[in-house]
Amino acid sequence: MQFLGKVIPSPLTLASGILGISFSSLQRVIRDGAGMVTTKSLSLEPRIGHEGPIIAEFEGGLVNSVGLTNPGIDDGLLEVEKFHNEFAGVSIVSVFGANSEEFVNLARAVNHSKGDFLELNLSCPNVEDEFKRPFALVPEKITEIVTAVKAVSNKPVLAKLSPNANDITLMAMLAEQAGADGLTMINTLGHGMVIDAIARRPVLRNNFGGISGPCIKPLALKLIRDAYKQVKIPILGTGGVSNGLDAVEMMMAGASAVAIGSAVYERGLDVFKITRMEMEAFMSEHGYEDYTDLIGILEEN
Amino acid sequence: MKRDRQTLPIAAIREENPSLRTFRFDTQLEAQAGQFVMLTLFGEGEKPFSILDENADSVYITVKNVGPFTNRLFELQVGALVSIRGPYGVAFSLENKRVLMVGGGFATPPLRFLAKSLRARGIDYLVNVNGARSQADLLYVSDFEELCDRSLIATDDGSLGHRGTSVDVMQDILEEETFDCIYISGPERMMKAAVDVARKYGIPFEVNLERYMKCGVGICGSCVMDPNGLILCKEGPVVGHETLAKVQEFGVSHRDKTGRILEI
Repeated sequence: MQFLGKVIPSPLTLASGILGISFSSLQRVIRDGAGMVTTKSLSLEPRIGHEGPIIAEFEGGLVNSVGLTNPGIDDGLLEVEKFHNEFAGVSIVSVFGANSEEFVNLARAVNHSKGDFLELNLSCPNVEDEFKRPFALVPEKITEIVTAVKAVSNKPVLAKLSPNANDITLMAMLAEQAGADGLTMINTLGHGMVIDAIARRPVLRNNFGGISGPCIKPLALKLIRDAYKQVKIPILGTGGVSNGLDAVEMMMAGASAVAIGSAVYERGLDVFKITRMEMEAFMSEHGYEDYTDLIGILEEN
Repeated sequence: MKRDRQTLPIAAIREENPSLRTFRFDTQLEAQAGQFVMLTLFGEGEKPFSILDENADSVYITVKNVGPFTNRLFELQVGALVSIRGPYGVAFSLENKRVLMVGGGFATPPLRFLAKSLRARGIDYLVNVNGARSQADLLYVSDFEELCDRSLIATDDGSLGHRGTSVDVMQDILEEETFDCIYISGPERMMKAAVDVARKYGIPFEVNLERYMKCGVGICGSCVMDPNGLILCKEGPVVGHETLAKVQEFGVSHRDKTGRILEI
């Protein structure tokens, strides 16, 4: 199948933020069965991120507050180059800027890399103290940043949207109008928190974090379905997918490819291989020949 | 999803030497030698620590005071609440019958746990080489003597045992004897030297590696090693000789807290 013109062996993609600091991780995930990989979001300068605990589990998934740990755009793109060195795999380079100027500089840097796609992380919930309101919640910011990046980028551009927006479908439409080639949705939900009752404290060192995992899947399906009805650009769906049936459902709701994140915690790196086998088993049992046959075929009551 | 975090008081603190303390927690983890826990100090942070020992009543970790986090930990008294999760990671294997252990500096606690586990399981012949800068830095000398058939010591300054490194002593032993497996735990340069010797004599080995770890459960990517993508917190910290052969950064480089590559 293809995604934004690139041939990929499977629609299953490593979501940004999971393992993606180094070329070694990214190659490993492809070897273990992913169709594409997303890097951790790269910023202009290196970032240590938050102190631990950065991850807290609960019944429905995970709450994380990593705080955009990354080696910075220069070292990060060296990892991207090493990833592509004599290695077949499609990469999505995720970037995070503090304003549209930074996003433009990041996009320019990515132009010179072998990265296949550029993903704009407009919606990290974990750095609000530093960067104020996430751009993905502000319609004018979506338009401004996507327009500015598209003016300089020579890569297909994905805008990553937040379920915290009042109207994520409006954000999807604005991103498309501004020239985005695709959408990644949804980022983590909330802030949420996990409390340690004995200690009378939040588990996360940063107190709050973005919610991911099975509990956000119903929301992701609905929001992807809403956006799919309003935009023509492809959607990289993500949010609580942990098995083949989840991935099939997400493609039926309108996703052209599906990213997996938190499920790596639950099922290990085998999750890509196993999920792909589960998808193929479903498809052969129910008469679907190609992954693309699944996209947006939901029939509503 | 499994909940494995426990918040509990420090049950006892033992000073091993001025910069080293053992903390006791009255809980059960069913940990094995080589595994680690993530320990949270509320309001401070979370770090990995290898497990010194576990018995029916308690779990012990030995901590060297190296920075702000351990400074904070050393300020705590018995009864103070902390949070631990684990055990995590791959332990040393226990199948071998003729075993050599080579330890250096403050990385010997897991070998003490290993010696105890091997003894409990039944072992034919167990030799330990314990190395440190000086006599005052040697850990668990009498415990190793008790648990092992031979227990040798090397100090850089010659204040006790052989003057030199534990790897020198290891080499001397391998001239005379052979083993099913060599277990190595120490600073990375020392382990690299020990691995070179083990390879020279063609003896299988396992090393106890250390990299910056943040999540402990294989998703943040901080501890992933080049170029094969070994996820050390899940697929280590104990790594066998076949896997180690693919880890080209061993003895060469590691990554800092942001993911940038630094030379060792």
